Amino acid sequence: MRMSEGVPKGRIVEIYNPGMFQEHEEVIVFTRNESSSFYNSMQEQIDYINEIDLYLNRGDEWKLIGYWPKILERIHILDMNMDSLLKKEPLQCYLDASLYNTIRSSHKNVAVSKRKVSVQSNLPI
Amino acid sequence: MRYSYGIMDRRKILLYEPYLFLSGDDLLVFPTKDFHKWQGDIKEYIDGLYQINSINMEETKSLNITEFNLAVAVINNIREELEQMFDSDKISDFSYHYISTLDEKYKKQKGDYYTNDMRRCDIKIHVKPKITPWLKYNHMMEIVNQVAQDFASPQKSGKQQ
Repeated sequence: MRMSEGVPKGRIVEIYNPGMFQEHEEVIVFTRNESSSFYNSMQEQIDYINEIDLYLNRGDEWKLIGYWPKILERIHILDMNMDSLLKKEPLQCYLDASLYNTIRSSHKNVAVSKRKVSVQSNLPI
Repeated sequence: MRYSYGIMDRRKILLYEPYLFLSGDDLLVFPTKDFHKWQGDIKEYIDGLYQINSINMEETKSLNITEFNLAVAVINNIREELEQMFDSDKISDFSYHYISTLDEKYKKQKGDYYTNDMRRCDIKIHVKPKITPWLKYNHMMEIVNQVAQDFASPQKSGKQQ
């Protein structure tokens, strides 16, 4: 699909690639952040299902009884995401907490923490 | 998702609902017709997946490997369609437009699908882990690393927004 990024300036959007669209062509405009959440959420569900596929031995058909409801949950999320594209409500996938931080901490911080905590005495695990 | 339609006018886009966007937002612009077609295509695939699932609606039958393979193939198709969101060479085929007419009942799961027995199997631990000092240390380091990351990120995330 032809796509261009842009910035809003009052009533108009200045796009970086004006040659992409024809004169008087109707377009639809989203924010980049929300599109990114949407796209990541879709990829997560697809990756999950592909992982199940990769690790399933084709001889263990009985395992599908357990896997299929999980897969169905993910398909439901895919469906909700696609519906949410054309609704003005906040995205369902905003509610998915993400534990994977893409920004790595600097080694310095982690090394300092290691020194201050002593393993044996403090934690009653 | 916040969205607005707009129209291309002399190399700029005139928004129909400009109040939806703040001046600091980055925006993505797609042609409306292509976008609706693309969305319809993916919905079509998802409805196909629900149709594969409809076999489970019958009491006696359950999914077999062939149907699972089919479902995975449809998922791959969805993934390809998703990637074409940013592929400017892709030409949309406007010969048909899919509107979802799937009855909501096909999207519901059977009530007693996950039985008590299944749950008992799932939560039973077959090999009890032996708690060693190494294990305790790693458990604690996981928490420490996560906290260190959280402390490191606020400066960066301040710049992102």
